[in-house]
Amino acid sequence: MRITFLPAIGWLVAGALSAGEISSIRAYVDSDLCARLNLGPITASRIECSQSTIKEGSDPVLVNLHNNLVLTVNKQKMIRPLAGQLVEVSGEIKVKNGTAKLESVNAITADSVPHGDPARKLLDVRTYRTNHKAELHEKIRHELAMMPYISEFDFISFSQMGAEVVLSGWTVRATNRSTAYNVVKDIPGVETVINNIEILPLGSFDMQIRAAARVALQRFLSRYFWGNGSDIKIVVKNGQIILLGTVARKADSDLAFIQCNSVPGAFKVFNMLRVQSSQTKGA
Amino acid sequence: MWTKKSNLICLAAALMAVSSCSRPASQESVRKMPPGDQFSGFLSTYANLKPNLEFENTVSFVSQDPVKNLHKYVAVIVEPPVVYLATDADGKNLPDRGRTALTEYFRHSIDEAIEDAFPVVQSSGPLVLRLRSAIIGVDVGPAIPVDQKEDGSLDRTINIGKVGVEIELVDSETGEQIAAVVDRQHLGEGAMVSSAMFSREEKFRAATEAFDGWGRRLRNWLDSAEELSKDDIARVEGTNFPYASENSPK
Repeated sequence: MRITFLPAIGWLVAGALSAGEISSIRAYVDSDLCARLNLGPITASRIECSQSTIKEGSDPVLVNLHNNLVLTVNKQKMIRPLAGQLVEVSGEIKVKNGTAKLESVNAITADSVPHGDPARKLLDVRTYRTNHKAELHEKIRHELAMMPYISEFDFISFSQMGAEVVLSGWTVRATNRSTAYNVVKDIPGVETVINNIEILPLGSFDMQIRAAARVALQRFLSRYFWGNGSDIKIVVKNGQIILLGTVARKADSDLAFIQCNSVPGAFKVFNMLRVQSSQTKGA
Repeated sequence: MWTKKSNLICLAAALMAVSSCSRPASQESVRKMPPGDQFSGFLSTYANLKPNLEFENTVSFVSQDPVKNLHKYVAVIVEPPVVYLATDADGKNLPDRGRTALTEYFRHSIDEAIEDAFPVVQSSGPLVLRLRSAIIGVDVGPAIPVDQKEDGSLDRTINIGKVGVEIELVDSETGEQIAAVVDRQHLGEGAMVSSAMFSREEKFRAATEAFDGWGRRLRNWLDSAEELSKDDIARVEGTNFPYASENSPK
């Protein structure tokens, strides 16, 4: 008799949550920029990234410690001062949309998350270092690289921990978000996919910036633009430009930064370009 | 400084704007297929069209210009479709509400089919295409008897059995053709429309399926045009895109 009740209870709980029930999670206060660059476990360098980019104007977001899901929040003021810290938040959390309507936020320490709690996963560097399957990793990379609608205005990244894959980045096309999820989900060996790819708004202001940034970069760094793709990714969000991808020399990275700073209407440029000398495929 | 004269000029401009908005749409958006011609004349040019081996009964063009091609655009404005009547159809008999229902449904089908790949926006600009479309070969059937009319019934039946579509994507700022397709696949074989609310009625399912079908074919054609070339694949495989996070295996 008890067994027959269980699905009904599960259904009731799911229904209550989807109707906007207040729930509580433990999270890390990150910047939108660092969270979607997928910097992995919470190390000193990630905390530094979170704090410095929020200070420079990137929006603060929450990263659910339980599953790495990025949540944009309605009241950024509540979490902005807590950049780089762990918090316990309560509010209306919509997993499907990746949003949280905050009710309360309290800073917590790592020690308050008990051992064995799934929320410790993001706190433990070892989780990320010991459980890789290189062949599966390359398969995921290949499938994402073959997606047809990726342009220089889209940036997709991923991390893999055993059978769990976290997708992140920004795209101007909804199809890239859903296609990335579907192709990765169908790869044998992948069990869980967390989708942190954000669909960017296409306001005319940002469109002007995108076009102008591409023209500026192509004029001086045309070798990084080829056929229908590019090694430099230009992510534009609310007037901010995030430069991503790989260039051969530090001088090219600096030149790209200078060119984008001269784009009319762009009020902040984050230069996240990597310099190729230390890069290897898949790294 | 505002004077009576400038007020009058403003009033005149406002009246002109209102009058142009209220002009009957039917005069502008119903045209007739020219006798003996293969194409309607709707597209800005037909010179580049070639048979598409992947899609039956289709001729198409996709610009290979390295600077101006489909890959260089990220959004699209979808213009209201235009209706071209069959050569021997009587344009005066085409029910205006019926024409509106057809064009609105086709536009909806196009939006549904493409918007996740080419987000639909309202204003032109860089990186934005303009999608122009026409429904070609619409025929007008006999008058519907008064005693058979229901809510939303048209005065005459519209026959889309021999309809095809012509679609082009042009640069929203310059009007230059970037891609075009003439799809003569008769998906509406036997389909009739005799209600302005045909999309909600089961008995007109063949018509809605036909329009949805052309929308899907448009999307499939765009997908095939967006496929990575062999050179692009080689280039992507040679890079580390998409790069994984720093915790990935080295």
